[in-house]
Amino acid sequence: MTQLANSPKEHLLVHAERARERVKELKESPVPVIYVGCATCGRAAGALETIAGFEEVLKDNGIEARIEKVGCLGHCYAEPLVIIQNPGFPALLYQKIGAGEAGILVRSFLKDGSDPCYEYLIGALETDENFPTLMDYPRYLYENRVVMEHCGLIDPDEIDHYLAVGGYLSLAQGLEKGGEWVLEEVKSANLRGRGGAGFPAGRKWEIARKVEKTPKLVICNGDEGDPGAYMDRTLLESNPHQVLEGLALAALAVGAERALLYIRAEYPLAVEIMERAIVQARGKNLLGANILGSGFSLEVSVFKGSGAFVCGEETALIESLVGNRGMPQPRPPYPAVAGLDGLPTVINNVKTLSTVPTIIRHGHQWFRSIGTEESPGTAIFSVVGEVEYPGLVEVPMGVTLEHLVVDVCGGIKDGKELKAVQIGGPSGGCLPASLMETVIDFDSLKTVGAMMGSGGLVVMNEDTCMVEVARYFTDFTQGESCGNCTFCRIGTRHLRDILHSITIGEGKMEELTDLEEISEAVIKGSLCSLGKTAPNPVLTTLRFFRDEYIAHIEEKRCPAKMCRPLIAFYIDLEPCARGCDACVACCPTDAIFTTSNRKKAIDQEKCVKCGECVYACPPEYDAVRRVSPPEMIPDQGVEPLPDTEKEKEESK
Amino acid sequence: MLDQLLAALNETERAAVDEEEYQILQAVVDELPAFSHEVSQLIPILQEIQGKHGYLPRLALDMVADHVQTTIGKVYGIATFYNQFRFNPPGRNPIKVCLGTACHVKGGEILLENFERRLQIKVGETSDDREYSLERVACIGCCALAPAVVVGEKVEAYVTPSKVEGIITEIEVRNEMAAREQAKNDATSE
Amino acid sequence: MSDNLVTITVDDQKITAPVGSYLLPACLENDIYIPNLCFLEGMDDPPASCRLCLVDIEGEAVPVASCRYRIFAGMVVTTDSEEILKLRQLAFRLLVSTNDGSCRTCIANHGCELQKIAKFLHQPLKTKRLRHIDREYPELVDNHPFLVYEPKKCVLCGRCVHVCGQLEKGYKLDFANRGMDTIVSFFSSDSDPASHDCETCLACTEVCPVGALSSKVKWTSFVAELEMKSAQKHKGGQG
Repeated sequence: MTQLANSPKEHLLVHAERARERVKELKESPVPVIYVGCATCGRAAGALETIAGFEEVLKDNGIEARIEKVGCLGHCYAEPLVIIQNPGFPALLYQKIGAGEAGILVRSFLKDGSDPCYEYLIGALETDENFPTLMDYPRYLYENRVVMEHCGLIDPDEIDHYLAVGGYLSLAQGLEKGGEWVLEEVKSANLRGRGGAGFPAGRKWEIARKVEKTPKLVICNGDEGDPGAYMDRTLLESNPHQVLEGLALAALAVGAERALLYIRAEYPLAVEIMERAIVQARGKNLLGANILGSGFSLEVSVFKGSGAFVCGEETALIESLVGNRGMPQPRPPYPAVAGLDGLPTVINNVKTLSTVPTIIRHGHQWFRSIGTEESPGTAIFSVVGEVEYPGLVEVPMGVTLEHLVVDVCGGIKDGKELKAVQIGGPSGGCLPASLMETVIDFDSLKTVGAMMGSGGLVVMNEDTCMVEVARYFTDFTQGESCGNCTFCRIGTRHLRDILHSITIGEGKMEELTDLEEISEAVIKGSLCSLGKTAPNPVLTTLRFFRDEYIAHIEEKRCPAKMCRPLIAFYIDLEPCARGCDACVACCPTDAIFTTSNRKKAIDQEKCVKCGECVYACPPEYDAVRRVSPPEMIPDQGVEPLPDTEKEKEESK
Repeated sequence: MLDQLLAALNETERAAVDEEEYQILQAVVDELPAFSHEVSQLIPILQEIQGKHGYLPRLALDMVADHVQTTIGKVYGIATFYNQFRFNPPGRNPIKVCLGTACHVKGGEILLENFERRLQIKVGETSDDREYSLERVACIGCCALAPAVVVGEKVEAYVTPSKVEGIITEIEVRNEMAAREQAKNDATSE
Repeated sequence: MSDNLVTITVDDQKITAPVGSYLLPACLENDIYIPNLCFLEGMDDPPASCRLCLVDIEGEAVPVASCRYRIFAGMVVTTDSEEILKLRQLAFRLLVSTNDGSCRTCIANHGCELQKIAKFLHQPLKTKRLRHIDREYPELVDNHPFLVYEPKKCVLCGRCVHVCGQLEKGYKLDFANRGMDTIVSFFSSDSDPASHDCETCLACTEVCPVGALSSKVKWTSFVAELEMKSAQKHKGGQG
């Protein structure tokens, strides 16, 4: 192909040049620039109040500074996160900056430039001799940010921020070399679908490309419904143009002229940001008709999913697009052959599509140098639960769970013991501490009964009951079952009911066999992957934590002391200090009373076992005890409040 | 069209359509022509109506069915399939307790009970004065800030059972202040 | 249906059937019974929801629903392996665990597909080991001028929804809610002409495999008869 005078790349370089100048202006700003992480989680932690705080104090002190809203760095434990670029200093990252801390930073650091407030500082973004740098922390050092490279560092509302870091260069390159080449690159990279199942994206594209029917369609699946997973949302909110670029490359490889972003309605900010990004990209001719003069056109629109977990399943997603109930359909035909309106439809996860531009940019060999042979590249996990540094973590495939939980995320909080990790959400499994050497990739996790799923990872300590966790996930999937097929609709309900009865102390030993029998049938006989994976949490907990089930059934005891019908709280009168009313004050049901000897006791009938008193009791006394079964409460000779006293209290 | 639909209702059903709902239905009559008549627009239309008015009145479903030329059964089937749609008006302060995995492990269930106790309504209900409604949501993706609760549009992080009281008190104080402000304005305008 | 006939093997029996057609009807035509509830002859896309027609097919890793599996030349099908039997039995047990098992007072007694399948699978009609799940449905939906629906008997096969949807005019039954709460929805009113077409149609009641959906006329006389019988029995008992 002869090089055209105005090739897509040349077109793009004009945009990129202008973008770089604009961003340079920002980076070399003579006045300080304050970047505040404003994705959904940052906002939940108070980022907007932080911005208001900065604005107010800046104004009061007559300081000129720019405030930029950026996306999410993934360091959720440290939100709200703020980066301050103060002339004369390296860019510095601060943690937990509320409105009050914002004021201190302005007065101490921006006003006279003397004190960079080390107490809130995480580190400098670049190497600097006066400051610790981010790479001094394991959380940054061990991560390998490929897909999330720019998240939290660029403004998602500014296409120029993305263009300035090389954004859309991959698309321009793809347009020059053609869809076939893009397809081959992604195939050679062995990029596997990040939505959970790990089906090679290139193979899916190839199937659709070869089907003769047109027009073809590419859909970005952002119906992230796994409770405990939010990496798709973060990518959509923090680097929307990378998703769009991946989507455009996929469309190019497949030969599609239309693309859809399917985003759950529960992610309003992601929808808003993506809609804006589409307009911006169209404005620069990076989407729309005749993209960058290449002759390739792509129309992109957003469809809001209405909150049905099952719509993450490809065939159900398509049903919902045509205005039907989101019922999964038997396959074949696969959507890549006959999907929406019978047309070839490729559906890829947000993470998969976000990875594509990086592959095109650096080449498939580079991509295969990361991760393992069968699962190349990186994996993004949302690590939550009882770890020191929860948040989004991007690590190369092939690292162990141990490495991820202990080295990268700082291990278990409060010096407690790791009990299990739940990986892969409702379709995944619970793995015990003894399996922490398991390698993270698509295939290894399956061999131990879990799966990558969409990458949710919940870390649990000894205070989490595994029966209860299994009940929780089964309750979730049975509530989200579309109701079409017998095994999923009724089978998961029986699983849930049996688990529920075990957690309230009414289980029977023979029901453990029922659990296994029904689970196996639901896996084998269900129509779609929701049913086929729903019993995984049940089977893995039965396999690795059977003794907990038995304790619930035979001793009516919850070893983790979590199942409320099987536990009770009491106040140990020995350490209980006289006169301290912390527990009485915190109790939402007024179940705690003062005994005749001025100590405290709990009225078991009123107690709802919320555990609030455990936290309220000052650590130096630490007098609230939790026991299971409830009969374990020792007799401390506490006289129950006489009825007259009770009446007196009530009349107060 | 609206009158026609109302006429088709039986007496108890008609009595259930109050002035407020009638206003909403009138608005929907005006809004519908802006949408295409394709069945594939069904979900976006329902989302739009609920987004504007907070819920989907029963007769609005009939109107939508008529607009996209399908049956009420189909529209009702869609609306009841997806979690997003609701059929009664939400409270002025809708409270959504997240019960995603992380929130559940950290006691989301207990929070929900505390809200139920404090507001004297069950999950899925709206208080009689329409001040509060209480819902559970599967996951709002703020797992590292668990347990989380969404009050109105705002996400509250690290909510402990005792913080429930604070959240409600904050709303009450805000209402009280607004009421006083209103009274003051009324007084001055007189 | 003479076009492109191929030979396939079902449980060591050779049968011929049109290539590309669904497996279940081909087996049924050749007197190989495979239990089924949700399939109807002529469906383009059977919902494959009851899961009673699961069979093994050589080359497939997992059992497949024969109602939605297309025939190809030389396919080898097993319908009676132990694994298949176990799966079907469990599917059946699950289905009856949500029903009240009141055969004697049911309009479909002796003509009910569940009774036939119970016999074939050697399963009781009342749930034993599994708990009974009482679905939160009304006992009776009778606000339609010509139809009566007893949701607690419904197996959600969707046949009625399908046949009603095939009709040019029609009242158009549909599913509502989701998961365990799924129910067939009725929106009728005397002023709705579509409801009146039902009087002469009643196709939905004819395809109902159980006694969930009936013609109001038939149902009313059945109930009257039932009451009469029980009154007589009561009287007889006293005398």
